[in-house]
Amino acid sequence: MAAVALNNVTKAFGDLEIIKGITVTIEKGEFVSLLGPSGCGKTTLLRMIAGLESTTSGSIFIGERDSTGLPPEQRDIAMVFQSYALFPHLTVLENVLFPLRMRKLSARDKQVERARAALELVQLSHLADRRPRELSGGQQQRVAIARAVVSEPQVLLLDEPLSNLDARLRENMQEELIQLHRKTGLTTIFVTHDQEEALSLSDRVILLNGGQIEQVGSPSELYSKPSTRFAASFMGSTNLLDAEIVPHGDATAAHLAGGQILQLADGPASCGPGTVMFRQEDIQMRPSSGTSQLTGVVVTRIFLGARVRYVIDLDGQAIRCLASTDKLFEVGETVGISVPVDRMRVLRD
Amino acid sequence: MVKGIPVSIKFFAVAYVAAIILFLIGPLVVVAGVSFTAGDYVTFPPQGTSLRWYEAIVTSPVYLDAAWTSLKLAVLVTISATVIGAAMAIVIHRQRLPGTTFIGGMFLAPLVLPTIVFALGLLIAWSSYWGATSLLTLWIGHTVIAIPYVIRTTLAVLATSDKFLEEAGRTLGAGPWKAIFYVVLPQAMQGIAAGAFFAFNISFDEAILSLFLRSPEIMTLPIQIYTQLEFSPDPSIAAASTLMILLTVIMILIIDRLFGIQRVAG
Repeated sequence: MAAVALNNVTKAFGDLEIIKGITVTIEKGEFVSLLGPSGCGKTTLLRMIAGLESTTSGSIFIGERDSTGLPPEQRDIAMVFQSYALFPHLTVLENVLFPLRMRKLSARDKQVERARAALELVQLSHLADRRPRELSGGQQQRVAIARAVVSEPQVLLLDEPLSNLDARLRENMQEELIQLHRKTGLTTIFVTHDQEEALSLSDRVILLNGGQIEQVGSPSELYSKPSTRFAASFMGSTNLLDAEIVPHGDATAAHLAGGQILQLADGPASCGPGTVMFRQEDIQMRPSSGTSQLTGVVVTRIFLGARVRYVIDLDGQAIRCLASTDKLFEVGETVGISVPVDRMRVLRD
Repeated sequence: MVKGIPVSIKFFAVAYVAAIILFLIGPLVVVAGVSFTAGDYVTFPPQGTSLRWYEAIVTSPVYLDAAWTSLKLAVLVTISATVIGAAMAIVIHRQRLPGTTFIGGMFLAPLVLPTIVFALGLLIAWSSYWGATSLLTLWIGHTVIAIPYVIRTTLAVLATSDKFLEEAGRTLGAGPWKAIFYVVLPQAMQGIAAGAFFAFNISFDEAILSLFLRSPEIMTLPIQIYTQLEFSPDPSIAAASTLMILLTVIMILIIDRLFGIQRVAG
C-alpha cells in the first residue's frame, strides 16, 4: 500500500513555479531520499507533504486520505527540522510527550510510558529531565527524532537533519537512522543535498532538479545507470565527454571533440550529439605504447594512499581517473586509457 | 585587555562614570535625603532626620487616594497593554497578514510622537463625544503609550527564538491556537514579562496625560505630588517620591528573581 502518493503536484509563488508537476508514490515502510542541489525544490516538496506549504495544483495522499488541503496537525505525519526545533521551555521528556498530548494519543499514564520508550529507542532515557540547551548537538538531534517517532506517524519527514552535525557524528547518526528505520518500520522521507548520504541511507532515491523529477531509482541504479547528464554529474565525480555518436558496424562509436574515436556497445538508435559517461574508477591506464582506445597526457597526480588520482588531458577535455599505486605515471607523460565497453553509457542532455 | 591606556583616556573614563552617577543617581539621593528631614521645608541637605513626612503621607487621605488610583490604573494598564502588545508582537513577528509592517509602525508611533499632542487630542476628542474624563479615559491613554514597550520587548525575544518552533508544533499535532498557546507564548514569556514591567511603571509615573485628563475622580500619585509642589510644597512630596522609587526597586528585584534581569533587559 502506498504511504504517500503525489499526483502531479505543483507549487507556484506568483509567476515563479518551484515545483513543476511531480508524480511519485512512496510505499509503506520505505526509506526514500529527496535528493537535489539547493533550490531544486526538495525542501518545498517536503513542506508541502507536511502541510506547511500549500499545494498550487495536484493532490497529496497520505495513507488512504486525500490530505492536499489539510493543515499540518490533521495530517498523520511528524517532521524533524534542520534546526531540530526542540521546545526550549520544556524538558526532554516533555518535548517527546508533546505530540502525544496534542494528538491526545493514549491515556495520560500511557503517554509517559510511550515517551520513555521512544527515548529508550534513541538511548537518551537518562537525560529525560534535562532541558534541550543542556544537550549536545547530537543529543538534541536524537530528542528531535524521538519526538517525531513517538506518535508512530504514517510518514516521518526529515529535513536535512544531519547537516548541522560534524562529520564523525554524522556518520554515527546515519547508522542510527538506518537502525531506527529497521526497528520502527516507519515510512521515511529524507531531504538531503548530499548524494553520498542519500545513497547510503535510502531504499530509493528521488533525484530532483529545477522542480522536476530527474530520475527515481535504487541507490545502485542511480549511481551506475544515471539516465541524464545532470543525474550522472550529480551522483558522483564522473567523466562526461561531449561526443557525436555515429553508427560503426553493428554498434556505434563516439567521435570525441578532439578527434579521437571511442567504440561503444549501444545500437545505432542513440546516434546524434550526446555525452559519453564513465566513472573514474573504471578507467584502465597503460603506458602509451599499448593498444588503448584513447591517448592523453597526465596533468596532475594526487596520491590518496590506497589509490592515485590522475587528471588527464584528452585533447582539451579533462578526465579524472582513479588508479592503483602499482604502476605510477609521471606528470607530462603520455598515457593510454581504456574503459570496458559495458562501463560506458551514452546520455542525452 | 589592552595595556597601556593613556592617562588622559583613563581620566575621561573616570569623569564619564562620575558624571553618570552624579546626574542619574544624584537627584534620587537628594529626593530620598529630603524625605527624611525633620524640618518643614524642602531643603537639601535635610535638617535633622525623622520619619514625620512618611507618617504624614500614610495618614493623609489625599495621598492614599491618589496612590490607590495610581495602583489601580497601573494594574489595569499592565493587563490591557500586555495582552494587546503581546498579541500584536506575535502578529508582527509572523509577518503573515498583509500590511503588518504598517500596522506595526502605527502601534509603535507613541514612542516618537509627543505625548502632549496625544494628550491634547485625547482630551478634546473625549470631551466632545463622551463628556467628562474618567478612569477609563486615562486607562485608554496609558494603554496606548505603554503598548509599544510591550511590543518592543516581546519582539526582541521572539527574534532570537527558533522560527521553526511554531511549525514544529503544528507538525506534531498542535492546531494554530494550541501552537500559539503552548509554543509561541512560552517562548515570548520573558519579553512579555519585561513589557508588563515597563507598562506598569509607565502608567504609575506618567504625568502628562494624567495632568491633561485630570478630574477629581482620577487624581494619580504623580499629579498629587505635582499639585502639592505647585501650591504648598513640603517634604511630603519627597517622601511620596521615595516610596515610588522603592516600589520600582522591589519590582525589579521580583522580575530578576522570576526571569533574570539580564535576559529581560537584553
